[in-house]
Amino acid sequence: MKKISYVILSWITIVNLFVVSSLFIINSYGAAEEINAEFGEAPIIDGEIDDSMNEWKNAFKTQVNLTDLPIDLWVMQDSSKLFISVQVDLELSSHNSTEFIGLLISNSSSENQGDFIDAKIVQFSNIQTDEFVYLDYFINNSIFLNDTNYHGEGAGKLDGKVSVYEFTIPIKQSMTNGYEEDAVLEYENSYAFNITYGKIPSYPDGIIKSEIVLINIFEPLVEEQLLVDVILMILIIIVFSIVGILSGYYIYKIFKLKEKMERLRV
Amino acid sequence: MSKVPKVQTKDQKPKTRRISEDKFAYRTVVISTALSLIFYVISLLFNIEIILIFAGINLIFDIINILVKVIVILLFFLFMMISMGNYKEMTGNPLDWKEILLLFTLSLGQTLLNYIVFTFTLIGLLLILIYLYLVQEK
Repeated sequence: MKKISYVILSWITIVNLFVVSSLFIINSYGAAEEINAEFGEAPIIDGEIDDSMNEWKNAFKTQVNLTDLPIDLWVMQDSSKLFISVQVDLELSSHNSTEFIGLLISNSSSENQGDFIDAKIVQFSNIQTDEFVYLDYFINNSIFLNDTNYHGEGAGKLDGKVSVYEFTIPIKQSMTNGYEEDAVLEYENSYAFNITYGKIPSYPDGIIKSEIVLINIFEPLVEEQLLVDVILMILIIIVFSIVGILSGYYIYKIFKLKEKMERLRV
Repeated sequence: MSKVPKVQTKDQKPKTRRISEDKFAYRTVVISTALSLIFYVISLLFNIEIILIFAGINLIFDIINILVKVIVILLFFLFMMISMGNYKEMTGNPLDWKEILLLFTLSLGQTLLNYIVFTFTLIGLLLILIYLYLVQEK
C-alpha cells in the first residue's frame, strides 16, 4: 500500500514538473511586451524631449531590456505616423562614440527573422558632438540594402548620460514612391519591432543587443471625437446665449423697477 | 399749532429711512449685476476658449487656466445671486428654488468644454449654496 502511494506521488510530481517547466518554455519565447500605441501630438524629431512643450506626454512608456541593457521605450501615434523614442541611460564612459539604435520592423506580428524586412537606424558618427545619420534599409535575407527613398525620420542626442533616440514611421502609406522597400503599417494591426543596439556602424553584424516588442496600431477616432466636440461647443454657445438674453431681460426689469420706485416716491 | 409739525416729523423719519434703504438696495442690485456681467464676459472669453493665454504651455499654466475659469464662473454665480436676491427683496418676493436652479444650471453649463473645470465649478457652486443657506436669516 505504501509503495502504491509512493508511485502515485512520484507520478504527480513528474506531471507537475512537466506542466510548470512547459509554462517557462512558453514564456521564454515571443515578444517581450505588447504595446498599445497611445494617441498624442506629434513631437519634433530632434533627439530632444521638450517637457515645456509636453512632448511625448501621452506616450505609452515602458522599460525593456535589450538582452541585458535596460532602455526606456516610449510609443505614440497620431493619424498618420507612429512615434518611437528610445532612451539609453549609461555612464558617460560606457557610451560608444558610434553607437546606434535600430528598429527592425516586421511586415506583420510575425517574429520570424525573414519577416523583418525594414530597418530604421539612428547611427551616431560622434555621440559627443551629437553627429548622427538617419538610415532606412530594406532587409533581404539578412542583407541590409539602402532604400531608394528614405521614409520616416530619426534623430539622436546625448543628454547628460542618456542618449535619446527619436523615430517617426509613416502609417497607412500606399505601396508607391519606394514604400515597397518598407514595412507598411496599417491601422488595427500589430507589428513586431526588433529594437537593436550596437556600437559599430555595421548591420547586422554590429548589432550586439536586441529585443522584440509587439506594437498595436489603432485607427484614430477623429470623427467621433469631432462630433462630440461640436455638440459640446453648440451646447456651451446655447448656454452663454441664454445667459446673455436673460441678463438683458433682467437689466430691463431693473430699469422698470427704478421707474416704479420713482413713481412711488412721487 | 405746535402739535402738527411734531406728528409730521415722526411720520417722515421712517419714510426717509425706507427711501434711503431702497436706494441702497437698488444700488446693490445694479453694482452686483454689473459685476456679474463683467464675469460673464470674462467667462465667455475663457470658457469658449476665445482667449488661450495660459493653455498648453506647461502644467502650472494649465492649473492657472483652470483656476481662472472656475473662479470667474463662481464669481458670476455669487454676484448674480446677490443681485437677484436684492431685486426680489425690493419687489417683496422671496428668491425661489427654481430661479436658483436655473442660475445654477446656467453657471455649470459654462463649463461643458472641460471636465476638470466642470468638477471644480460644481464643488464650488455647491459650497456657495451651502454657505448662503447657512448665513440666511431664519
